[in-house]
Amino acid sequence: MWSEAELRVLSSILDELIPASPDGRVPGAGAVVAAEFFRSAAQYAVDPVGAIDVVLAGVSAMTEDFSALDRPERIEILKVVETETPENFALLVRLAYMGYYSRPEIRPLFGPGAQPVHPRGYTVPDESSELIDRLTKPVRQRGRCYRT
Amino acid sequence: MQNDPVDVLVVGAGASGAAVLWSLLETRMKFLCLEQGLRISDMDFPSRDADYELARYGRFSCDPNVRGLKQDYPINSDESCITPVNWNGVGGSTINFLAHWPRMKPSDFRTATLDGVAEDWPVDYARLEPFYEMNDRNVGVSGLGGNPAYPNYALDLPPIPIGKLGQTLANGFNRMGWHWWPSDVAILSQDHEGRQKCVNAGTCDLGCAAGAKGGANFTYWPILENAGVELRTECRVREILVDKGTGLATGVLYHGPDGRVHEQRAELVIMACNGVGTPRLLLNSRSGMFPEGVANRSGMVGRNLMFHPLTGVSGVFDEPMKGHEGPMACSILSQEFYETDPDRNFVRGYGLHSGRSTTPMTFALGGYGIDDPIPWGNQHRFIMDDIYPYLAGLTVVTEDLPEGHNRVTLDPVLTDSDGIPAPKISYRLGENTKRMLEHGKERAKEVLLAAGARKLLFKDDNTVWWRAGWHQMGTCRMGHDPRNSVVDGWGRCHDVKNLFIVDGSIFVTSGAVNPTSTIQALALYVGECIKDNIYNLFE
Ligand SMILES: Cc1cc2nc3c(=O)[nH]c(=O)nc-3n(C[C@H](O)[C@H](O)[C@H](O)COP(=O)(O)OP(=O)(O)OC[C@H]3O[C@@H](n4cnc5c(N)ncnc54)[C@H](O)[C@@H]3O)c2cc1C
Ligand code: SF4
Repeated sequence: MWSEAELRVLSSILDELIPASPDGRVPGAGAVVAAEFFRSAAQYAVDPVGAIDVVLAGVSAMTEDFSALDRPERIEILKVVETETPENFALLVRLAYMGYYSRPEIRPLFGPGAQPVHPRGYTVPDESSELIDRLTKPVRQRGRCYRT
Repeated sequence: MQNDPVDVLVVGAGASGAAVLWSLLETRMKFLCLEQGLRISDMDFPSRDADYELARYGRFSCDPNVRGLKQDYPINSDESCITPVNWNGVGGSTINFLAHWPRMKPSDFRTATLDGVAEDWPVDYARLEPFYEMNDRNVGVSGLGGNPAYPNYALDLPPIPIGKLGQTLANGFNRMGWHWWPSDVAILSQDHEGRQKCVNAGTCDLGCAAGAKGGANFTYWPILENAGVELRTECRVREILVDKGTGLATGVLYHGPDGRVHEQRAELVIMACNGVGTPRLLLNSRSGMFPEGVANRSGMVGRNLMFHPLTGVSGVFDEPMKGHEGPMACSILSQEFYETDPDRNFVRGYGLHSGRSTTPMTFALGGYGIDDPIPWGNQHRFIMDDIYPYLAGLTVVTEDLPEGHNRVTLDPVLTDSDGIPAPKISYRLGENTKRMLEHGKERAKEVLLAAGARKLLFKDDNTVWWRAGWHQMGTCRMGHDPRNSVVDGWGRCHDVKNLFIVDGSIFVTSGAVNPTSTIQALALYVGECIKDNIYNLFE
C-alpha cells in the first residue's frame, strides 16, 4: 500500500502533528502510531487511506525529501497542505490523535493508567464526613433555595 | 406471522420500559417486551480493552449515526444544532448513560403558574416523590442528604468522593456564596445488594463493567427475567395496530430476527422507546382512523422536542486535577441559578455541573460530545502537557422550554435496516436558552476564577455541544386537554385508551436536570395508576 519512502514521510508528518517533548519524556507520534492503525481505521472514517494518500501527495508535490527538512520547513509545508486539502488533513490529524492516545504506554504520560480501566479502575480516597460537612456548611447555612 | 397474545406488551427495554414492567409485576399478568437491540454482557464493554477510548468513535459511540449497527436507526439531524444520542439494546440508553441522578424540583412541574411559561404538569413533585424514592431504592443511589435546593429526602448510600476537582470547585462556589452540592448518582459508592461498588474508572459511557452503575441492565432486568417476563431481542416494532371498531390498540407489527414481519397482539400496549423513538413509531402508525399517526389527533406527536442545550467553560489550575478518576458526569452540582429570578433576562434557569475531565484521546479530539480537535504541532504539545492535566470544568446545562417548531418527524427518504422511516429532527435554540447559556458561561468563569483557575478556556460563540442530545423529552406530552397533549395525567393516550407512553416523551417541561430519575419515577407512577384502575381500564 505505502512504500518505504512514503512511510518515512508519514512518520515525519506524524512527528509534526504530535511532536515529542524537548526532554524526550513524551515520544512523537511518528514512533508510536503504526501505519497499520490507519489501514484498519475504516470503522472511524469513510476513506482514511485515501485521505492520507492525498496528504502524502500534497507533501511530495512540495518537497522531494520531507524527512530531511528541518522542523520549521516541515511545518510550513504542512500548513500549505492543510490549507489546500483541509478535510483530508483534518482526518489525518484526527486519526493521528486516535492512534496515538489509544496506546497504553502513552496514557500514563498524561495521568490515566496504562491498564484497561476495568476491572481495576483507580483508587480515590474516601472523603471524611468532617471534610464534606465543613465544605457544605456555608451552603447549609444559607438555607432553603427552591420554590414550591 | 402471529404470536400468542399477551396481556401487556412493552416496546423498548430501556430505563422506562423496565421500570413500568417492574411496577406491574405483582399483577401477574402475561408480559412481553420487544426490544430492537441485543443483550450486552459486561464482559463485552470496551472499558476492558487496552485501547478502550477508541470505542467511543466506533461501535460504542453514543451517536447511532456513528455506530451504524444493525439495531440502530439513523437520525437525520441536518436541521438541528444538537443530535440525539442513545443506546439501542437491553438497558436502553442506560447502557452508556452517565448516571447523574438529580431529581426535578417542585417548581419544574408548575412553570405556567409560577413563571407564566409552558404548561403545568398534571402531576406534581409531591405526587411523584414516593416513586422517586421507590426507584432510588431499586437502582441504588449515592449522595448526600440535606441538600437545601430540594425538599429533604434520604439516600441509601454515601456520596461518591467528589475528588480533588470537586473540592477545588466547591471552594470556589463557597467563595462566591453560591449553592453547590455533591451530585446524586445512580452509582454505588459501596457494595450494595450483591452489586459491586464503583471503581472510579471514569468511562461510564463505555458501559460499566463493574456493574456499579444503575443501568436497567443491572437493576430491573435481572429481576424481571427471573420473574418470567419475556424479553424478545432483535425485534423492531414498525407499527402500532388499532381496531377500527373499538378504537383500542390490538398490538403491533414487528420485524423479528428472521427479518420477517410478525404480529403481536396485546391487551395493553406501553411505549418506552425514548423521546425520539416513540413519536417516530406513533407517526409511522397511520391508518384511516389516524391519518397523521396513532394517538395524534392533537397534532402534538413529535412536537415540543426538548434537549438540555449545554456549553462548557474550563479552568486551568496549578495542580493536577486527576479528572479522569471517578465517574464521568458527577462530582458536584450547583443550582444557584436554577430558579427564575426576575432580575435576569431569562425565565427559568440552569445548573452548573462539574463532571470530571475526560481521557487524553477524547480531550485531544475536542471533548466528550464535541468534534473539534485541539491544534496540532507545538501547541498540541503545550496543551497536552500544561493544560490537560490541570483542568476542571463546568457545564452550563439549561432548561429547554417547549416550542412547537422543535420536533421529530419522519424522514421522507432515510430508513433503518428494516425499511422503517428514520426520525428527522428540526430543532433550534430558543432565545431564552441563548440568554441562559450566555449568563451561565459568565457565572462559570467567575466561579472558576474564584476556585483558583489561572486561565479559562471557553468558546466565544453561541454554539452548544453537538452530541449532547442525551435527554430527549416532550414529544408526546402529558396534559389534561386532549387538544394540546398526547397522554393524560397518567400516561394514557387521550385517543387510544389502552395505549400508554412512559418514556421522556411525556415530559411537559424539561427542568434543567438529567431526566432519568424522573423518567423512571414517572414510569413507576404510571404503573401504579394502571394497577389502581385495572378493573375499569378501558373506560
Ligand atoms: C451518553 C449518554 C449519557 C447520558 N447520561 C445521563 C445521565 O447522566 N443522567 C440521566 O438522567 N440521563 C442520562 N442519559 C439519558 C438516559 O440514558 C435516558 O434518559 C434514559 O435511558 C431514557 O429512558 P427511556 O426508557 O426513555 O429510553 P431508552 O433507555 O433509550 O430505551 C429505549 C429502548 O427502546 C428501544 N426501541 C426504540 N425503538 C424501538 C422499536 N421500534 N422497536 C423495539 N425497540 C425499540 C431502544 O432500542 C432502546 O433500548 C444519557 C444518555 C446518553 C446516551
Ligand atoms: S466510573 Fe464507576 S460507574 Fe463509571 S463505569 Fe467505572 S465503575 Fe462504573
